[in-house]
Amino acid sequence: MLTRYSALIFAAGLAFMLFVLFSGLPLGAPGMVVGQAVLDRAPAEVGAANIVTAVVLGYRGIDTMGELAILFAAATAIGLVLGRSRGSRHCPPAIQPGGFILRAGNDMLFPLLLVVGLYIILHGHLTPGGGFQGGVVLAAAFVLPVLARPTDMPSHAAMAWIEGLAGAAFILTGMAALAYDRAFLAPLLGTGEMGALVSAGTLPILYLAVGLKVGAELASLLLSLTEEGGD
Amino acid sequence: MNHSVLALVPALPLLASFLLPLVPGAARRLVGPLTLLAVAFIGLNLWPLVQTEPMVLAVGDFAPPLGITFYADSVSALFVIAVALVTLVLWPWSGSDAGNLDRKQSLTLILAGACGGLAVSGDLFNVYVFYELAAVASFGLAAGARTAAAQIATFRYVVIGSLCSLLALLGITLIYVQTGTVNLAHLAQLAPLKLHNPLGLAAFFMILLGLGVKAELFLVNTWAPDVYATAEARVSGLLAGLVSKLALLAVVRLLVLIFPLPEARDALLLLGMLGILSGEFAAFRARDVKRMLAWSSIAQLGAAFVAFAIPGPAGLAAGLAVALHHLLVKPALFLLADRWGGSLAQITGAARNSPVSAGLFVLFILSMLGVPPLPGFWAKYLLLSGLAAQPEGLWWLAGAIILLTTVVEAVYLFRVIGALYGRDHTVTPKTQSATAVIGSGVFAAVLLAVAFSAPLLALPLNRMAVQMADSAAYIARVLPPVLPGVAP
Repeated sequence: MLTRYSALIFAAGLAFMLFVLFSGLPLGAPGMVVGQAVLDRAPAEVGAANIVTAVVLGYRGIDTMGELAILFAAATAIGLVLGRSRGSRHCPPAIQPGGFILRAGNDMLFPLLLVVGLYIILHGHLTPGGGFQGGVVLAAAFVLPVLARPTDMPSHAAMAWIEGLAGAAFILTGMAALAYDRAFLAPLLGTGEMGALVSAGTLPILYLAVGLKVGAELASLLLSLTEEGGD
Repeated sequence: MNHSVLALVPALPLLASFLLPLVPGAARRLVGPLTLLAVAFIGLNLWPLVQTEPMVLAVGDFAPPLGITFYADSVSALFVIAVALVTLVLWPWSGSDAGNLDRKQSLTLILAGACGGLAVSGDLFNVYVFYELAAVASFGLAAGARTAAAQIATFRYVVIGSLCSLLALLGITLIYVQTGTVNLAHLAQLAPLKLHNPLGLAAFFMILLGLGVKAELFLVNTWAPDVYATAEARVSGLLAGLVSKLALLAVVRLLVLIFPLPEARDALLLLGMLGILSGEFAAFRARDVKRMLAWSSIAQLGAAFVAFAIPGPAGLAAGLAVALHHLLVKPALFLLADRWGGSLAQITGAARNSPVSAGLFVLFILSMLGVPPLPGFWAKYLLLSGLAAQPEGLWWLAGAIILLTTVVEAVYLFRVIGALYGRDHTVTPKTQSATAVIGSGVFAAVLLAVAFSAPLLALPLNRMAVQMADSAAYIARVLPPVLPGVAP
């Protein structure tokens, strides 16, 4: 009896504790200390029209490096648990190919998703969006064909190359700053004209690396799950 | 030296782990060890530089508190060296399946990068990111044994870890809402005004529980025995020896810089005492050698929490001694327990076939008990004298608990020694693997070197503790006053 309801009691207690804690906070008056300073200085310092990007890749760039690594670690861990050698290809024989509508829809959607994904990534420093969001769209673009044509899987080896090189590109761009005697991950190449496609220095390069990595990571994660499902 | 080398401490292992699957042929097996040697080299170069003046890096050239700050004092440098070298000794050199070996090596590199990041980070949210990174990598490594038992144990670990990470994130949110910053030095500056209130303390307790999962803090350590008993020995050694210490270091930085309050110290002291009691008595009851080591690890970390709760440099020195001693002893014991796991009946008489490994096992056990002149004695001595110097009450109770549980510890550890040198064996015990003997031999050599140079090490230990305890210097170093002579 008690074990059945213990989770409920725990959740209620936690909710009560959080309610009491957060009711003590001043509502609607966020302490804009660092936030305000970033808002004031980011346009001149980083040159990204999207201030969020200036924070994600500029002021807190090394957090983003950590987040990329978290995604990589999660995909690697799932590969380890589900366990098949990297690069091997395995097609579940029992799965039927998708119907005509699915295949035709996939053929139309694939290029569209690719373009949308890349657009979101490349405009990450200008408009809301960026590498993480665009990368997910890219991953969807590559998982959709798996639904339509399960016998014709994209190769794991290619995914592994994109994963590795995109992640390395992020860190190597950060290290390139060392050659100019700047600190790790300092934006290079000047700020450019705010709002232009080529602006905000190395930030678009970083976001492209993030986008490709996120896309390849999620796609290979979903692929290894589908492969296992066929066993 | 360019200050950006601090950023390379986490960045190099991450870069290597991304590229490792792409390196062709036999060179792939060299990527990890070479990277770890490079990180150790950075740490060794850092060590003399930071003795007098800690090194600060504004990542991306964004001046603190706007950007992320990396901060290295002598404790950080020591932990950078320890992370690289301990990971190297516990490196997965070989495995049955090449693809899975790649994955294990990648994850081990990520773990090393995350631990290095925890050692040098000076930003609360960045600490959280590296902590999460270490968590995800260790989930993968713990499940990497690929047995059903390991996966069930890891699942419990994932649930506890995720829930408590969420608590830590809420705690960071509470701190950010009240102060508007996450830079540790900036927080230390604002804390007396904005965080030394019930809400600030609640935030500290939430972060304590969150980071406490990896530091095997009482209440949130229930995953440890199952995971350590089922994971590969190297992984248990890494988690119990290394990752727990870096989580502990993050908690201590918060305690010293932002929450040097009696309430926070009492929490650490109480949870530490409960950790010692529960750990030692559960280890006494445990019949499986690995499980016993896991429970004793919980007790040792409880002792470290008690030590760090002592105010001032004396507490930090004692805590560092206890933590570093455990860092040397526990991975070696787990390495040896790889073949000697299971019940005591299975290792009865093992000393006859492998006298060297049995000798090493006894050496580590004696040091853990605190037999002079082994380093464990000095760690316990510092801890007990630190506790005795405090006004009576809880502090003296903690001292009494440590002395009493040493007896319990002696009983269950000598039970293992008795079995190793026993005569009436029913099954032939396994002999040790070469990697376990070499790995634990390296730890034993360091342990003996420390034992023989103990009087010489007191001075650097105290200097590290004094440097770490000086929060005013930390603030001044990261956020230099705008005008000379005017407080910021």
